[in-house]
Amino acid sequence: MHEFSVMSQIIEGLLEESKKWSAVKVEEVFLDLGDFTMLGEEQLKFSYEILSKDTILQGSTLTINHVKGTIECDCGFKGEMSPSEDSPHRIVPILECPKCRGPARIISGRECTIKNLRLVVPDV
Amino acid sequence: MHKVVTVDMEKDILAENRRLADENRALLEEHDIRAFDFLGAIGSGKTLIIEKLVDHLKSKGKESAAIAGDVSGDDDYQRLVAHGIPAANISTGKECHLDAHLVDHALEDLPLDKIDYLFIENVGNLVCPVDFPLGSHVRVVVISVTEGDDMVRKHPAIFAFSDVIVINKIDLAEAMQVDPRILERDARRINPGAKIVKMDARHGNGLDDLISALGL
Repeated sequence: MHEFSVMSQIIEGLLEESKKWSAVKVEEVFLDLGDFTMLGEEQLKFSYEILSKDTILQGSTLTINHVKGTIECDCGFKGEMSPSEDSPHRIVPILECPKCRGPARIISGRECTIKNLRLVVPDV
Repeated sequence: MHKVVTVDMEKDILAENRRLADENRALLEEHDIRAFDFLGAIGSGKTLIIEKLVDHLKSKGKESAAIAGDVSGDDDYQRLVAHGIPAANISTGKECHLDAHLVDHALEDLPLDKIDYLFIENVGNLVCPVDFPLGSHVRVVVISVTEGDDMVRKHPAIFAFSDVIVINKIDLAEAMQVDPRILERDARRINPGAKIVKMDARHGNGLDDLISALGL
């Protein structure tokens, strides 16, 4: 349950950026969330709602885009990992290469990136 | 009048921790220190294993230091300093994991010029530390058979992001009716590149395997 502290950092970054643009309101925030992170979407959204209160972020929408976890292997394989047999609906990082069964490396899926935000700014 | 603009940020919140972790690693390397980061549930045997490794290194004339992370208290810290090594205690208070920033501060309290090895014991949590590398060279996860033979399947991510997987308390496997081979099989599948060590840290069985897996 470290979504709250991660979200505190996100909010800090968003407020800083909004200030730079002299924004009067934030309408929407787009976040890329890697499938291999241990951050839950529901908890992030809940933390966002609480932490954005009484700031110019209040009432804005947090849109989370899930980034698929991909792996690569020395055998040349590059792509998504094999689905987990015991829990096909859960995202489990399995670093066994689906092609050669050797050890693979993660190339995406560990990010938690503020992509962009839609701001209301003075038209000067 | 106002207008709506879209502003690109591209700011990875977790990357900031990774950057600090890289700085910690660079600082350790400047001082020729090799660092190990221990993860695992409360009671899995992390502290005892570190104590055994510290004693082993001492017998070889090598100096160690430790960072003990817990939500509260200094129990682990006290156990580690009892082995005659410098140590730093981090009480996270509310946080469920150590992060690179906390470790950076702890490093300020340690005599880096005088030590060869650093052992960092994370908070006993199997979820949150995954997203926060600390700057160590090798990440070790310790589990024990008392956690059940479905343990690896329940917490897969931590095994995917560790270099060495220790299955501890194998002397209790029979009493617990747990087959350590199941834990080993599951761990192997999630992370075929990891080294897996089965041991009984209390009685020292398998300690040599761990020592060689860690290159100590």
